[in-house]
Amino acid sequence: MEVSESLRIAVANLRVHKVRSFLTILGTVIGVMSVIAIVSIIEGMNKYVSERLLEEGSNTFYVDKFGLITDYQAYLDAMKRKDLTMEDARALERLSEYIPVVGSMSQSRSNVRYRSREVSSVEVRGVDEGYQAANAIEVEYGRFLTREDVLRRRPVIVLGTDVRDKLFPGRDPLGKEVRVGRYTFRIVGVAERKGSLLGMSQDSNVMMPLTAFQKAYGSRTPVMLVAKARDQESLQMAQDEARSILRARRKVPFSKPDDFAIMSAETFMEMYKSFTSTAYLVTVGIAALSLVVGGIVIMNIMIVSVTERTKEIGIRKAVGARRADIMFQFLIESLILSGSGGLIGVLVGVGIAVLVSHVTPLPAAVRAWAVGTGLLVALGVGGFFGIYPAARAAKLDPIVALRYE
Amino acid sequence: MAELIELRDVKKIYRVGTEDVHALDGITLTFRKNEYLAIMGPSGSGKSTLMNLVGCLDTPTSGSYRFNDKEVKDLSDDELARIRNKEIGFVFQTFNLLPRADAAHNVELPLIYAGVPKVERRRKVQQALEAVGLTERARHRPSELSGGQRQRAAIARALVNEPSVILADEPTGNLDSKTGEEIMQVFETIHSAGNTIILVTHEEYIARHSGRIIRLMDGLVESDVRV
Repeated sequence: MEVSESLRIAVANLRVHKVRSFLTILGTVIGVMSVIAIVSIIEGMNKYVSERLLEEGSNTFYVDKFGLITDYQAYLDAMKRKDLTMEDARALERLSEYIPVVGSMSQSRSNVRYRSREVSSVEVRGVDEGYQAANAIEVEYGRFLTREDVLRRRPVIVLGTDVRDKLFPGRDPLGKEVRVGRYTFRIVGVAERKGSLLGMSQDSNVMMPLTAFQKAYGSRTPVMLVAKARDQESLQMAQDEARSILRARRKVPFSKPDDFAIMSAETFMEMYKSFTSTAYLVTVGIAALSLVVGGIVIMNIMIVSVTERTKEIGIRKAVGARRADIMFQFLIESLILSGSGGLIGVLVGVGIAVLVSHVTPLPAAVRAWAVGTGLLVALGVGGFFGIYPAARAAKLDPIVALRYE
Repeated sequence: MAELIELRDVKKIYRVGTEDVHALDGITLTFRKNEYLAIMGPSGSGKSTLMNLVGCLDTPTSGSYRFNDKEVKDLSDDELARIRNKEIGFVFQTFNLLPRADAAHNVELPLIYAGVPKVERRRKVQQALEAVGLTERARHRPSELSGGQRQRAAIARALVNEPSVILADEPTGNLDSKTGEEIMQVFETIHSAGNTIILVTHEEYIARHSGRIIRLMDGLVESDVRV
């Protein structure tokens, strides 16, 4: 029998039971929909994050005494380690071949006040003169912090654009004095806007000389080094250099592991990926569950359909339908059910992803492989759960089937 | 001349509960091409069982049934389906049309399973509907047809694949006598066009249309008379 004929019969039958058909495919729709929506959102975030990390400068790497801390004990152990210092930064610049510039940075949070205006919980960074180059910071106007500022512990400050906008709307902040915590700083510059990352502003901060920062917040605030390799190719060699220089300076015995951690964009990317892969697994689990349930619903309805159409099957067999013809007819029907469930699921899922990317800062990227897999799995479910009812129909005894009322 | 259908000591035994029911208890019969015969008998005499066997819907418990010189017992399920499709045309008492398909599509059904290409299907359906005088009503569903028209559609479906034999199981049983008579006229015409017809009935006046009357009783042939 021709496929087109089976299709025609199947579609005609499903149209007779519109509501039933719709309810039957709901499980499949929800399963495929959640996969597509969540995968699109996660993929979108992946793309966004990796682009932004590259933009940050993929030849930048970071050194601190913590690394990526995952539990409290590791945190306590790391706290006991010796702090990194500005001198470490200068030593790296001086001794290494592949690291032209290194910045030091320490951070905390404080309220920043100008007369009656106040911005609460601003990220306060204490930085040295290498930080600007290592972190690719441009100055919108004024100047950045200099070596002199750092050595003389000058009370000067560079504002992020968000803080500038809130404290000095439409006014020139240069030369004005702001209060950061209990100390007063004179504004010497405004950093250029960096934009937001995953909905979080990167301009809601102020920068002051590391020495002044340590006076205000204590010299035990951990320092992070920001190093820039000469280029992308020498990134690995630069990290190796930094490792051996720091080990020597910190007198780490040969047999002991590093008492500091080197992190690059890649490290962050890996950490991020390990987060999202968990989300992936959970999604796949939920989707698999709802697809199995959806498949059982399809099987159930197909069994009902076979029973209802016993007489029809008898007639078809009497006029010469082979087992395979009957089998095929019902299998096509469950494939159409689950396939259209998959299709609707894909459309709704993509719709949700696009909607989410419009109303939230989360980006979305619809992947062809996700759509393809969604459809294939839906069809697979229909095929798998359609076999039993179809086989039941095909096996019916024509005489018994004809007598069925 | 070769026998079209040859039954030798055919038995059909059903198990009902713990008891064996001998629906056919040793039937030996031969039917030739172009015969028009009627099978009669009271209910329970085994008419329908015989019909199902001859129509390849069922296989005998023992004995030999040869159709066109092929032993039916040895045929696979698919081969039986092929014989039902190409060699046999069924006409049922209750018409057995697909309710959601129009007359033309019902008639087309055997051709679809035979794998006949679409253009040829259309031509053959047209011919068959013409032969039973139902061309006008081709696009109507069974529910929109009268009893007589439904049976005409069913006869057209039985005819459409040019089978070796047409099996009619009480074809007038659900019709009033006037319509029944019209249907018998249709069979008359088909027979004179060269078709073999086996008719099951319990009405004498219907049986009289045929050229040979076989009476069954308790699963055995009681009489076999040519008229």
